[in-house]
Amino acid sequence: MKKIIFFLSIVVFSCSTNKEGNNEVNLYSQRHYSVDELQYKNFTEKTGIKVNVVKANADELIERLKNEGENSPADLFVTVDAGKLYNARQSGVLQQIPANAINENIRRDILDTDNYWAPITYRSRIIVYSNERVQKSELSTYEDLANPKWKKRLLVRSSSNAYNQALMSSIVANLGSEATENWSSGVVANFARDPKGSDRDQVKAIAAGQGDLAIVNSYYIGLLLASEKDEEIEAGNSVSVFFPNQGTDDRGSHINISALGLTNNSPNRENAIKLIEYLTSEEAQKVYVNNSYEYPANSLVQPSDIVKGWGEFKIDKLNLNALGEYRPEAIRIFDKTGWK
Amino acid sequence: MEIKSNFLLIENKRWVTASIFLALLVILPIFILFFSFFSSEKETLIYLFNTVLLDYTLNTIYLIFLTSFFTLLFGVFPAWVVSNNTFKGRSFFDIVLYLPLAIPSYIMGYTYIEILSFTGPIQTYFRYNIPYLSGFFNQDYLQVEVLGIILGLALYPYVYTASRISFSMIGSNYLNISKNLGLNSNSSFFKVVLPLSRPAIFSGLFLVIMEVLNEYGAVQYFGVNTYTAGIFRSWNSFGDVNGAIQLASILLVIVLIFFSIERSSYSKSRFYYNKNTQLNIRSVSSINKSILYFLVCFIPFFLGFLVPFVFIFNNTLDTLHLADFTKVINLTFNSISVSTLSSFFVILIALFFLFVERISKTKINAYISNLISLGYALPGAVIALSLMILFSESLVVGTFGLLLFAYIIRFLAVGKSPIKSSLQKQPETIDDTGKNLGLGPFSLLKKVHLPINRFALISAFIVTFIDVLKELPITLILRPFNFDTLATQTYEFAVEEMLPLSSIYSLIIIILGSLMLLILKSFIDKELDVSKS
Repeated sequence: MKKIIFFLSIVVFSCSTNKEGNNEVNLYSQRHYSVDELQYKNFTEKTGIKVNVVKANADELIERLKNEGENSPADLFVTVDAGKLYNARQSGVLQQIPANAINENIRRDILDTDNYWAPITYRSRIIVYSNERVQKSELSTYEDLANPKWKKRLLVRSSSNAYNQALMSSIVANLGSEATENWSSGVVANFARDPKGSDRDQVKAIAAGQGDLAIVNSYYIGLLLASEKDEEIEAGNSVSVFFPNQGTDDRGSHINISALGLTNNSPNRENAIKLIEYLTSEEAQKVYVNNSYEYPANSLVQPSDIVKGWGEFKIDKLNLNALGEYRPEAIRIFDKTGWK
Repeated sequence: MEIKSNFLLIENKRWVTASIFLALLVILPIFILFFSFFSSEKETLIYLFNTVLLDYTLNTIYLIFLTSFFTLLFGVFPAWVVSNNTFKGRSFFDIVLYLPLAIPSYIMGYTYIEILSFTGPIQTYFRYNIPYLSGFFNQDYLQVEVLGIILGLALYPYVYTASRISFSMIGSNYLNISKNLGLNSNSSFFKVVLPLSRPAIFSGLFLVIMEVLNEYGAVQYFGVNTYTAGIFRSWNSFGDVNGAIQLASILLVIVLIFFSIERSSYSKSRFYYNKNTQLNIRSVSSINKSILYFLVCFIPFFLGFLVPFVFIFNNTLDTLHLADFTKVINLTFNSISVSTLSSFFVILIALFFLFVERISKTKINAYISNLISLGYALPGAVIALSLMILFSESLVVGTFGLLLFAYIIRFLAVGKSPIKSSLQKQPETIDDTGKNLGLGPFSLLKKVHLPINRFALISAFIVTFIDVLKELPITLILRPFNFDTLATQTYEFAVEEMLPLSSIYSLIIIILGSLMLLILKSFIDKELDVSKS
């Protein structure tokens, strides 16, 4: 018995975190795509720097960074939402990235003006519509989704989802609170059913005839079309993709980024900067587009064929920090207008 | 002075002192919550109160009601049928009715929606083969009522286990008496057996309710905003950790009140199981009854285990060419090691507290044994949060030590209950005899209580093991670098809407859990035999 306890104590306490850098870099990441593992493996092969990862939800990771303070082993904070990076910066857990660390070919319009984070990919929250029941000419803007002509036809997931929160924040930033509240009430009145399920479920619901159009992230359509199941491909083919707000004077479609933030107490700062340089480089950006349906942040790289097939589009040039800044107001509007 | 002299009267002071310190360590994170409740801003809390909280609370109550109904339906009746009758398939059902416990409830939720969806096997079959019926199946299945059934299927084994043990221990005397009083077997069940088993069924139902309160993955997917969704709205939407803590503290107080009401009603209706009489298992003569009994047992097993298992198994085969087997083996090893280690500590610590309670006979230790169960009433994410706050600015976060500590706080109640009921069955004369033979407390524990409670200890180990195997939020938040488990990997694929890729990991969780449950079943049988002999 004593031997067992002795052995267990050794196991438990010998596995403490190794803060002081050997040749490694430590990531707290909200992203958990298989393509990331591939990127880190390639980076290690190239540089000899080992990449260590903890994956959890963004707010939990921010909380962990805050509480660990100066003793935090993390070098980079990786998210899929500029709003969370804004929050991380407000919490004081990020530092500025030297401007030359970010590849010069990264699209200027998705960079942080203060360089607190480096974008690696972006995605748009778009409209998909039934090929049978909706004409492309009927669609125009996000604002138009509040039009009564869509009554009982619109599908979207819940307001606790960060992608919806980011979209609503962008609308508050662009139109102001009052107009956004009216818009949200109109959208809620058009719901075909209560908000629920995943983005993919919204597309399936269109295929099933439970609604005619849905608000989803662009890459989920890519995932459906590349599915192993014929039924899912068929569901993906029963809808088309529409980028809203593309008119000449219009602001463009809402986008959000995946990005890297450099932590305030990064113990392996140099290695972290090397990883930022690598992940924004053409070489790594090609790996992203070949293994996922996101748009590359690097303007020299083309997206995958499925994604290219949807055509080019104008992006909303809103400062992406607004997606965090207007978040609390966005949630209030969700709750006030009954968007569950 | 009085306190001091009282303390002098306590037996085994060193043990009592040690237990108080250890209890403080376990309860500390929960105290931290209450401390921050009073010390911080309540802006978000007030906001949520004014807007959505009432709605969330009503949803929670409705979901608890639905889930309780289905767990009772799927739990109590099969338990009665299996305990009391022989029919074709009885011994098979006696083994497999526990198995849904091996399937994490959020996996059950995702899996059923996939099965029932427009692109799932059922709707596809009807579209191609019996088109005129396909409209009937084309429904929106993401409904709170469907969620209630799914959670009922995932959680009924808690009620089933408690009822099954209680029904077998009631013994035939009660039933014979009720028969002599002119009750037929149905009325005996409702008028005698059910009331006698109420405390046991209630304790099973209590676990079910705790699970529903802590459930987040499935409820979010179904768009059912429960109270826990409110906790996360504060944390993940407003970025207000304090609001989340305040809501969790309120939940804890509500659970405590509920818990003590349940306790006091239980102590009033305490009765003693009649040992020495075995339940007479009747053979069923009529075919209709046989079919009915078969169905009563078959439905929960079929829907709660067989359907999701076969679907996940099939998905695994379909995606086998994409599987990374080094990773699969690696994660299986990780899951088994953390589950084994933490279950070991859980039973060690639970046994320690219960043993000190027994030998010291103080009120303090009775309170302590109840307090250490509180962690079960908190969502895992909140326990993780409180530990991060407690160990702020230290190097402890991200170590295995802290991860295990969090599991222990969360699951101490789970490991405690089998050990507790076993210890209660041992007469105190055993301890006195031991003392007369010159055994100190440690030898008494080692030479007497470890061996005679071994079945309960192993049962406690197994139930804790299965819970840690399925655990998600604590692992996500507190894990060390590069540490994945089967549960975290399953979740990551599921949440990215790549369910088929998650199936190999969830399949291993289910197989490991099922194996453990089969072992557990054989121990429950032994324990039942021991207590009757």
